[in-house]
Amino acid sequence: MKHLIAEFDALRARFPEGFASSMVLPCLRRIQEDRGYVADEDIAGLVEYLGVPRIQVEEVLSFYGQFRRAPVGRCHIEACRNISCSLLGAERLIEHLSAKLGIRPGETTADGEFSLATVECMASCGTAPMVVVNGKYLESMDAAKVDALIDANRARAAE
Amino acid sequence: MNAPERRNLLMTFEVTPTSHLLADYRARGGYAAVEKALATMTPGQVTAEVTASGIQGRGGANFPAGRKWGVVNLTDGQPHYLCANADEGEPGTFKDRWILENAPHLLLESMLVAAYALQVRHAFIYIRGEFDLPYHRIAGALDEAYAAGYFGKPLFGTDFTCDLIVYRGAGSYVCGEASGLLSSLEGKRGYPRNRPPRLTVRGLYQRPTVVNNVETLSNIAGIIMDGAAAFKAFGTRKSPGTRLVSISGHIVKPGVYEVEPGRPFREFIFDTCGGVPHGRNVKAIIPGGISTKVVTGEEVDRITLDNESLATVGSGMGSGGMVVIAEGTCMVRLLQVLLRFYHHESCGQCTPCREGMGWMHRIIDRIVEGRGAPQDIEQLKKISAWNDGNTICGMGDAAGYAALGILAKFGDEFDYYIEHKRSRHDGNLECRAST
Amino acid sequence: MPRIHIDGRPIDAEAGQTVMQAAVAAGIEIPAFCWHPELSVSGSCRVCAVQVEGRSWVEISCNMPVAEDLKVLTDTDLVRAYRKSILELTTLNHPVDCGICDKSGECMLQDYHYRHNGAPSTSRDVKVHATKFHRLSERVTLDNERCILCSRCVRFTHEISRSKSLGIVNRGDHSLVRASEDGAFERDAYSDNVVDICPVGALLATSFMYKSRVWYLKPTASVCPGCARGCNVDLWHRRDEWKLRALDPPKNVAIERVTPRDNPAVNGPWTCNWARDLPGFLARPRAEHAMFNGAPVATDAAIDAARDLLDSAKRPLALVSSSASNEELEAFAAALGARCRVRVKGDRVAAPGEVIEDDILIRADKNANTAGARMRFPTLDDPATPLPADTDLVLAWGEGFDPSRLPGGARLVWLDAWRDSRHGAAAVFIPLSIMTERAGSFTNFEGVASRFEACFPKPAGAAHAEELFALLAVREGAPA
Repeated sequence: MKHLIAEFDALRARFPEGFASSMVLPCLRRIQEDRGYVADEDIAGLVEYLGVPRIQVEEVLSFYGQFRRAPVGRCHIEACRNISCSLLGAERLIEHLSAKLGIRPGETTADGEFSLATVECMASCGTAPMVVVNGKYLESMDAAKVDALIDANRARAAE
Repeated sequence: MNAPERRNLLMTFEVTPTSHLLADYRARGGYAAVEKALATMTPGQVTAEVTASGIQGRGGANFPAGRKWGVVNLTDGQPHYLCANADEGEPGTFKDRWILENAPHLLLESMLVAAYALQVRHAFIYIRGEFDLPYHRIAGALDEAYAAGYFGKPLFGTDFTCDLIVYRGAGSYVCGEASGLLSSLEGKRGYPRNRPPRLTVRGLYQRPTVVNNVETLSNIAGIIMDGAAAFKAFGTRKSPGTRLVSISGHIVKPGVYEVEPGRPFREFIFDTCGGVPHGRNVKAIIPGGISTKVVTGEEVDRITLDNESLATVGSGMGSGGMVVIAEGTCMVRLLQVLLRFYHHESCGQCTPCREGMGWMHRIIDRIVEGRGAPQDIEQLKKISAWNDGNTICGMGDAAGYAALGILAKFGDEFDYYIEHKRSRHDGNLECRAST
Repeated sequence: MPRIHIDGRPIDAEAGQTVMQAAVAAGIEIPAFCWHPELSVSGSCRVCAVQVEGRSWVEISCNMPVAEDLKVLTDTDLVRAYRKSILELTTLNHPVDCGICDKSGECMLQDYHYRHNGAPSTSRDVKVHATKFHRLSERVTLDNERCILCSRCVRFTHEISRSKSLGIVNRGDHSLVRASEDGAFERDAYSDNVVDICPVGALLATSFMYKSRVWYLKPTASVCPGCARGCNVDLWHRRDEWKLRALDPPKNVAIERVTPRDNPAVNGPWTCNWARDLPGFLARPRAEHAMFNGAPVATDAAIDAARDLLDSAKRPLALVSSSASNEELEAFAAALGARCRVRVKGDRVAAPGEVIEDDILIRADKNANTAGARMRFPTLDDPATPLPADTDLVLAWGEGFDPSRLPGGARLVWLDAWRDSRHGAAAVFIPLSIMTERAGSFTNFEGVASRFEACFPKPAGAAHAEELFALLAVREGAPA
């Protein structure tokens, strides 16, 4: 986390005075972007840097769906299962993903290459079903498209 | 995403590959509204114009924006804050995303006007954490606007200065509720807050704060440029202006459309959006995000696209997130998807929602597994009623509406499922060519 | 002063109050789990809902501002039905294991259930399971299944003890109260208060777990002797009718737990963890026998000997106890005050690891009645300064006296309740009763006097100081 402090300082300067507490979310997001998840030492460092109670950081990490306390696969696939995606085949798509990867939602493949998760509505309903791969929206998906995605990733990993 | 069919008060905004860029926006006359406001109007006059336009909140609650602004006391000597609610998370809704991706400067300019009216030094855009392209578009637009001097320094020779921060959420539906949003913006869990006090009295860090939906705010530049009368020329008396509708589900041409309230619902579905795939009939439509009560295909034929007409069938325009459901779709399974969502997103703060959402989810799961009992339907209705108007925020109510709407209009499907331990249809949610 | 009506009764509320506050001030009870008079409004439990006359819905009273002519109804059909629904929801995932729960008998959920619901659950579905016996700290154990997430404990650590050590993690019906991982709750010197304010049996004092059903116990009003704050407390010990011969005898005269007794002028509804450990402090080994020149004698004989010594002393010095009650000090002043030079002795100093002082309750003076003693005897003894060399007799009262301070040639009469190997250095030693064996009062550092009552009889050999001083002053056979 220490190497991000200059960035945090710059961000902090943009907030009005007295907004240190507001920095919790953006700092945690940046830490996760950097490391892939939020580690214990990040929490301790952030608490020290911001001067907020540690419990606030622990609450935030467990409350918001996007924060992770452990690493996920190098290719992290999140599939929407909410209404519009379900009406357009998300349930079949998730089953297909599970079968293709050999893991259930919430799991990571043994080689650490892929992890699968289900998520709720991503505001991509008009282009359903959709998946998010490492934070990027992939819309109007079908089995063939996810196969191509997974195969391409496997090929890259094999190199 | 399909291009909106026409743009009236969104400055006849045509989407081009460069419509999100400052140069493009300025070429369309962008940032003239804020110049006009600062040069020719007092903050009070801006609010008066917004009030006169009658524009209602587009986030789902339809609260008149002008009345919200009017609560803020401009001479109370304390900082005021403005926040755009870009935490678009109501399932079926993706119209704010359209604005963020295609017309970010329209939002930024409108926010400058609003900030001037409310005497705001620091404004925020709270954008949902999952948004990737929308975030990069609005952040890029803000960089451009800062570089062009619209933010961070006195504007047009006045002493009005506004700074704006784009704040990303991290995955929580309740943060779309204005007070939950402010809790989150304070770097905390997104727990909604009790009213009173209103947020316009004690909001962000206990200071007066106006939270408006992205679409609501994006109309402000147009209202100031063309005047309230031009805005009110569209729509109905009670629902003035045009509004964005995002349509998805079993529909041939999903996307974001700008519609004029008062328009026949059926015409919009079949003529504009191409109707249901495979020539199927409409079984039901969720008109304004899943928290509005479902309307049946038969009801769609006799109502228009506005709150007043939708109210006659017990529903409303909500967030404009329309989901079309074709005949042959299992409503039991559909409700299961909705209740699973509400259970997943309940923040857990107040009792009726914390306990009720999980309970409803467990009941519907049990019904779908074939272990339902006739009294389960009454139990679902009872839990919904216990949440109605009795929770800190509107989420408990919303889940109740979703359940009550489906149970009221498709109750026989639930009875069938419980009795036969299987769906009357094939239990599938997808729309297929043949029955 | 807005005038409101609650169930038709006119109440003059204070501006800025909530309906709940106005009701409590007027002695009207509205059920509430999350609301607590000393904490901010949470508004989450929803059980305090009431109806405003003319409205067709219910609203929570804890967050409803009073307004002129507001008419509140707390017992309409709508309110009753709503309360019942909230209680059904509150017990939905609660284990209802009252039979093995320490809180049973003083549990708000239990009381409200019987008062406002009473019906069995209508749920056919499994309960959400959560952690049992979660060690929140060395002192506090948490049963998350019993927790109703009222957030009282969380708000306590943020607003009262300010350790900001508790919070709620996760969301929805998987929410859990947790302590921060930096040990801040372990270090919170007020942590045990969360056990008292927990409306259910979720937060448990580890020291009291499974010790006794609460209905076997009775509270005796007392004052914590731990520091100059003098927190008003209740000492809980076995009721006479539940004293059993078969029980381990010391259990019948044991303090099982200590809880704060609300006194707005002293401690409010709180007290520190030191007070909770009072049973251990009071269970220290006692001085059992009177002694003359280090050899055990009958207490009466020791009293005679002490009186003789006092009689013959030319320049006696009395070191009076800063833990003595006002009544004892008064008795001393009346009997011996004029005969002796008097200094107030500090009986106790902070033990290693004990909190010295904070801006909440804890005071640096670790004696209960220094103020009461100094009102009568202004001079404070300084342990670092030698006692006057001309002293020929020292009367030391209370613990914490170092006999090596005795001036050459002076004799020592020592009165103390606690066992101390140095007692033999005294010419005369007389064992005293302790505060749980007598009534009295302490005056705290702000001049507020608080009374304590006796819980148990004193042991046979011990003397009550209040009675002793008169005996030390009167010469046997001399005219009164």
